[in-house]
Amino acid sequence: MAFAICAAVPAGAAENLVSGLSQDRIDITSSYAGADIVLFGAIERPASDARPDIVVVVRGPDQDMRVRRKDRVAGIWINRNRVVLRGMPSYYFAAGSAPLDRIATGATLREYGLGLDSVVPRSTMGRHDPEPFRRALIRHQEAAKLYVQAEGGVRFLSGTLFRVHVPLPASAPRGKYVAEVFLLRGGQVIDVRSSTLSIDQTGLERRIYDFATLDPLAYGLSTVLIALLFGWLSAVVFRRPE
Amino acid sequence: MEIYLPIAEMSVHWLLILGLGGGIGFLSGLLGVGGGFLLTPLLIFTGIPAPIAVATTASHITASSMSGALAHWRKRAVDLKMAAVMSLGGILGTGAGVWLFGVLRRSGQMDVAVSASYVILLGTIGALMLRESLAALRAARAGSPQRLPGKHLWIHGLPFKQRFPASRLYISVIPPLAIGFAVGALSSVLGVGGGFIVVPAMIYFLRMPTNVVMGTSLVQIILVTAATTVLQSVNNHAVDVMLALLLIAGGVIGAQLGVRAASRLRGEQLRALLAVVVLGVGAKLLIDLVSRPADLYSVMSGG
Repeated sequence: MAFAICAAVPAGAAENLVSGLSQDRIDITSSYAGADIVLFGAIERPASDARPDIVVVVRGPDQDMRVRRKDRVAGIWINRNRVVLRGMPSYYFAAGSAPLDRIATGATLREYGLGLDSVVPRSTMGRHDPEPFRRALIRHQEAAKLYVQAEGGVRFLSGTLFRVHVPLPASAPRGKYVAEVFLLRGGQVIDVRSSTLSIDQTGLERRIYDFATLDPLAYGLSTVLIALLFGWLSAVVFRRPE
Repeated sequence: MEIYLPIAEMSVHWLLILGLGGGIGFLSGLLGVGGGFLLTPLLIFTGIPAPIAVATTASHITASSMSGALAHWRKRAVDLKMAAVMSLGGILGTGAGVWLFGVLRRSGQMDVAVSASYVILLGTIGALMLRESLAALRAARAGSPQRLPGKHLWIHGLPFKQRFPASRLYISVIPPLAIGFAVGALSSVLGVGGGFIVVPAMIYFLRMPTNVVMGTSLVQIILVTAATTVLQSVNNHAVDVMLALLLIAGGVIGAQLGVRAASRLRGEQLRALLAVVVLGVGAKLLIDLVSRPADLYSVMSGG
């Protein structure tokens, strides 16, 4: 993918991009309910007065997704068929300055991974045709606001300056995110810029998570102690005269 | 205000969880039931993943049982020896249940297994509670007290007999161990305390005197749910301490209010009402199981 991008960008191109994120680090604290980041960008030395097309893609860390399909067995619906989609983004956001199918051809969009139709697994495992399972995953992630395709989400503030809002729900997993900005003219990619963003738990949340994963026995015992303490406290505080 | 749950990795409104814990605590104080069998499905309805809901409810039950057990302890209404024997069975059962829980979760059948078990459980409890409360209402009207017949049961022929002085019993340890085992397994797979099984089993099956039944079952439930919490943390990383704190805080306050309200309200009618709620939750789960889901596909990330 990186190789393809390098090859597509002509050396010494006059027209290029600069971009930046409103923050490169999101801290999950106890009141964390998702975040809204802003990506800014500008086109330097525009090749013509006609406004070029901009596509912004933000991908979360890759994950293996198990997608199951329910079937009716003895009157109840249970999970029967399973396909594992390897290397799917845990979060995916795509926005263009126009609807993506008007910016470039399907082949170009797929080549650069632009748009939900281009979100494909690295490999699959299972006895069934993976395509319905992939579409189901995208539907599921869209409903959870983890996959977003915002047609026309890139707003031009002037002829060369643009901005896009990237909404990250609270359920977006921790890890390293990559934001890529594509500059296109006539359906051809002219320049690409990428920047990274990390989401991680901090403070108390971080300590709880580490405690629970690194020393689960002590974590479990502490939870029990807290429960016993609360139970005892309430019995003492609310003790009725006998 | 939303609060982030570090293990469930999602955010929930803290008042919703506090209120849920408080409501269930109130019911448990009012009616002397643990309420885990309602709390777990309600947490699942609010969007908490089933494994986290099941595993975390155990610590809520530990806290409310502790609160109740202390009151019985002061009155010396606890058979510690019986509680220890049952808890031994319970901890073994918990081990088996936590193992089963892990297997179900990995195979993707956890949600269906939990829902189906709850349909059976809630249907049975609801029907029994409704029958019992209606009978009590009729008995109250007729004015005839209920009493247990003193039959000789087959369990008295089993080996490994032990003396339980506080219960004035001389019985085999096999039945209490077996009851403990079954309840421990239920506790870890379904997130219930099991008081609704332990109490009738002690009264009708072991023939323990009713004055020690409540205290003894609460002590046994504390030990079993504590074991569940520890084993779920170690094996399945499914206990969310933030969720537990909110549920516990709501639960202990609700329970004390419930105990106070109990002296002013009619128990039989409330029991009948609770029975209807329990049957309603069971019916909702059953409908979800048998009706065609809106989306046939489900997703689990990782692994």
